[in-house]
Amino acid sequence: MANTIEIENLTYHKNYRRILENINLQIEQGKTVGLLGENGAGKTTLMRLIAGVAKGAHGTVKIDGEDQVAAKKAEVSFSGQLDGFNPSMRIDKIIRFYEDVYSDFSTERYNQIAGFLQIDEGLRLSALSKGMKEKLVIGLTLSRDTKVYLLDEPFGGIDSMSRKKIIQSIIKWKASDAVIVVSDHYVSEIASILDEVVIIKDKTIYTKKSAEEIRAQYAEGIEQYYESIYEGNDMDD
Amino acid sequence: MKFDDKIPIYYQIKNYIYGQIITGKLAPGEKIPAVRQLAVDLTVNVNTVQRALGELISEGILESRRGLGNFVTEDQATIEEVKHKLIMQQLHEMYENLHDLNVTDDEIVAYLRQYIKDRRTTKDGQYN
Repeated sequence: MANTIEIENLTYHKNYRRILENINLQIEQGKTVGLLGENGAGKTTLMRLIAGVAKGAHGTVKIDGEDQVAAKKAEVSFSGQLDGFNPSMRIDKIIRFYEDVYSDFSTERYNQIAGFLQIDEGLRLSALSKGMKEKLVIGLTLSRDTKVYLLDEPFGGIDSMSRKKIIQSIIKWKASDAVIVVSDHYVSEIASILDEVVIIKDKTIYTKKSAEEIRAQYAEGIEQYYESIYEGNDMDD
Repeated sequence: MKFDDKIPIYYQIKNYIYGQIITGKLAPGEKIPAVRQLAVDLTVNVNTVQRALGELISEGILESRRGLGNFVTEDQATIEEVKHKLIMQQLHEMYENLHDLNVTDDEIVAYLRQYIKDRRTTKDGQYN
């Protein structure tokens, strides 16, 4: 199957500090991938590089064979934490902004997702609970029609019902040929929806493995496998 | 349903569907939910559901009808076969576990008889 994301020898420094080093990663069309690593491992930076938002890296990031920033922005849907928006902005204004800026944004799809997640659009950004903000991020991100969707720690500090709804909406609205990358530092909540697990450690990709292979090969959960890597018990061949 | 993260999920989905068919929750000839709906209901990846269904189709327990979806087989013999296989699987596991505790074959039979007798007499079905 064709690779939707192809990263070669990617190195990223910031203020003379190495953030990511020699990243090589291929992700096939249609996969749901968990990007795992502890806080500060570089998960968000890697997402920003894939989305073409962060600049100044060495190496190549290709999305569907294209490595131009404009092409990446057109084919990667990444909303981050909505940091660019004024906190007093109302949700419906943010949605109008997405409609104006992204020609591939589907208001119809957004309304379906917002209905499912019960997003209250009358509120201001600053008034949103953590769970509601994550739901909004999911709604906005998944409503674009792109080849890649990046979700940066969508489950941080939210209740289990919201989490379940968010996971269901990922399954429900993911196009079968689209790639979804979900980052997290706690795995068990998303383990069942992942095709593959990518672990970032020591500023680089430590391993990429199929989730089912981890279960079959090591008879252990994704969570344990991930922890064993961070604890230094190298179970890889 | 809740999955055990230590066991491949496609395998657990297969067992779940076997169970539904054997207990009649899914009747012979009944259409099973679409792949994506199953994935949402079970909170698992669509590709994993597809793999499980693919294997069930090649085993003959499900039949794929073009453009219509997947249906439970109407062949009773196939359903009986699956039931037999699942029972054997459970017995095998129990047998191996008891052998690991140095319980002999005769003892296993005696214990099982006693267990069933006790189960029948306890009202709540709890055995401790």
